[in-house]
Amino acid sequence: MAKITIDNKQFECRDGISVLQAALDAGKNIPHYCYHPGLSVVASCRLCLMEMQMPHPKTQEMGWAPKLFPSCQTPVKEGMIVRFDSDAVRDNQKSCMEYFLIDHPLDCPVCDQAGECHLQDYSYEFGSSESRMVEQKHVTPKKDIGPKTLLYSDRCVMCTRCVRFTQEVSGTHELCVTNRGSRNEIDVFPGLPLDNPMQGNVVDLCPVGCLLDKDFLFKQRVWFLKSADSICPGCSTGCAIRVDQNEETVYRLKPRYNPDVNDWWMCDEGRFGSKYIHDPKRIASPHLRRGLERESANWEDLPEVVRYRFEQHVSLRGGDKVAVVLSPMMACEEAWLLIKFIRGVAPEATIATGFIPTDGEVQHFPAGCDAASAKFTIRPEKCPNRRGVEMIAEQAGGTTCDFDTFVTSAAGGAFSAAWIVGGYPSDWVSKEFGKAAAKFDLLVVQDMFENALTKLASVLLPACAWVERDGSFVNHAGKIQPFERAIRAPDGANRDGQYLFEIAGFEGVYSAERVRATMAMETAAFGEVLEAPLKPAHQH
Amino acid sequence: MSWQTIDRNVSPYAAGSEPVLSEGVREKIRSFFPRYDTKRAVLLPALHMVQDALGHVPYKAMAEIAEVLEIHPSDVLDTLTFYTHFWTHPKGEKVVMACRSISCELTGGREVLDAIKSHLGIGEHETTADGKYSLVTEECLAGCDHGPCMLINEKLHKCVKAADVPKLLDDAKNDRIEVPRSDLFDAPERSNSNQPS
Repeated sequence: MAKITIDNKQFECRDGISVLQAALDAGKNIPHYCYHPGLSVVASCRLCLMEMQMPHPKTQEMGWAPKLFPSCQTPVKEGMIVRFDSDAVRDNQKSCMEYFLIDHPLDCPVCDQAGECHLQDYSYEFGSSESRMVEQKHVTPKKDIGPKTLLYSDRCVMCTRCVRFTQEVSGTHELCVTNRGSRNEIDVFPGLPLDNPMQGNVVDLCPVGCLLDKDFLFKQRVWFLKSADSICPGCSTGCAIRVDQNEETVYRLKPRYNPDVNDWWMCDEGRFGSKYIHDPKRIASPHLRRGLERESANWEDLPEVVRYRFEQHVSLRGGDKVAVVLSPMMACEEAWLLIKFIRGVAPEATIATGFIPTDGEVQHFPAGCDAASAKFTIRPEKCPNRRGVEMIAEQAGGTTCDFDTFVTSAAGGAFSAAWIVGGYPSDWVSKEFGKAAAKFDLLVVQDMFENALTKLASVLLPACAWVERDGSFVNHAGKIQPFERAIRAPDGANRDGQYLFEIAGFEGVYSAERVRATMAMETAAFGEVLEAPLKPAHQH
Repeated sequence: MSWQTIDRNVSPYAAGSEPVLSEGVREKIRSFFPRYDTKRAVLLPALHMVQDALGHVPYKAMAEIAEVLEIHPSDVLDTLTFYTHFWTHPKGEKVVMACRSISCELTGGREVLDAIKSHLGIGEHETTADGKYSLVTEECLAGCDHGPCMLINEKLHKCVKAADVPKLLDDAKNDRIEVPRSDLFDAPERSNSNQPS
């Protein structure tokens, strides 16, 4: 720990960090564009310049050095005295802002970044209200630099964060700086567009409206968006994300800083892969089968009906004929509630863990590096909570099995009643499983889209997307991460946690946190959830 | 300008078209590898060699250089566009570079530039219809004490008067580059006499 003095106040900070990071950690608002803690330091924007005390070369007396120093490039040192609160620093910030805006088109009304733009914020806080620029602005057309991203060159401040990202984090090197000096532009090599599995991060990194997401382009003004802290369900990495929604429509997902999991990044698959949540084909209400007909049920009667059917089945056929399949798309709390119910009516019931969707190979970044030096990893297990449901099943004890064993024994007629949870974004029911499922007399299916299984269901329950639920996922490394609800379930549906809560025999409103507290009494592990830092290490 | 979009998804050359770098040029580039710690470091010599061989460095050549040096083509583009010396499109036989910096400006550089323009009938960064001359301006030609300066095929002409421009441009002595840049890298190593043997 080093003690340094910033603006006459002493702060303790970690060794080896820059003065800028120390000042930001101390809660100071120091303007900066090129600095990002996840990237190398270039000290090119000159906004974070500070004054520093140095010994006089002759008298060795400490005094303010006559020049300014880039705080992002100056490491902290015991006893260092610096200041940002001075006329020289403020003058520099003001002049820099004037330069940044020399060629800027000031097209905020049509710019997606407006509202979360650091040109706007810094102009307001550190700039001046007018420009002395009378010459013609140097205008450059926008560039379509890839299938998902647009580059508005004229809004660029040349912080080169995006270029450094492709060089240092994704390791794909698509972006470069062309030309020199005032003609600098960010560009790609023509014909080799920005198209890597992590490219969406360059849009987050861009402090201004230069790099924009085609998916979000002109969809929503950012000040209308409300955010919820969530966890990406795309793979078993479990990146901390933010869900931005307005009026129950999710417009975009952004990564949240979590040094234990994803640092500042997320992959495109997670970012753009959840369009299914607003698919009109989703199952949105509960259905009961009476004879051959399927009719819609109401949520009030449902817990009683389901419980009655299971109890009747157990009394006729025995509890060991009952099985429950826990989907790795479920939250831990929901899995726990479902087990609570099933073991309540049939203590001998088999608990199977559900189908694990996999796709491709594990991908480490920077591209081509190994697991040890990876800065980011996309995992082939395309579900968020395999570890979680396995933990819950293990803790519940009794007969447990994996999905393949379940399918084989179901095909052999081992079970006559089953509660099968799906919730996958795409059709997951294999032919063999569809055939095996036809043997169940009582089949409760909890799924998001119609498939071979839902057609057979005696009770069909709508599964909600993770943004409509709250709970926790356990990632590949065994970290338990809670996620919030961002939007309401579609009309007619009810969030899984709520109806499972009622079916399990509880009364009132489901709260993942309270259920987790109850779970923690049984398994201490559930008391130790991993929350991403409340205050991000970096504002933008 | 945001209503105009440059599409960067399309390649400027056809896929599978003939390579533009001859085996000789590639071999010469490779022969520089032992001089540096990394292959990337050979980028500048390679660009000079290619420009000498082809007259300019087209996109296809950049991609081929990248392949030889095992870097991404965007890294080649990055370095190449930093230097005004390198051309991405064909240039004329004689490249005329006029200084646009302050010392030459004060001593009449503007008149010299205007004289070149009117004599050749082209503007800055243009090439005459017959492909003989290309005109560019440069920031400084390092001859400030003898301004105004201009380069014709990399040969420095000092204290140029506007009236002399037609003669200098037509001068057959300026027809070829005397020492190609890529040859400069082949200069024999200077022996250090101070070093104890």
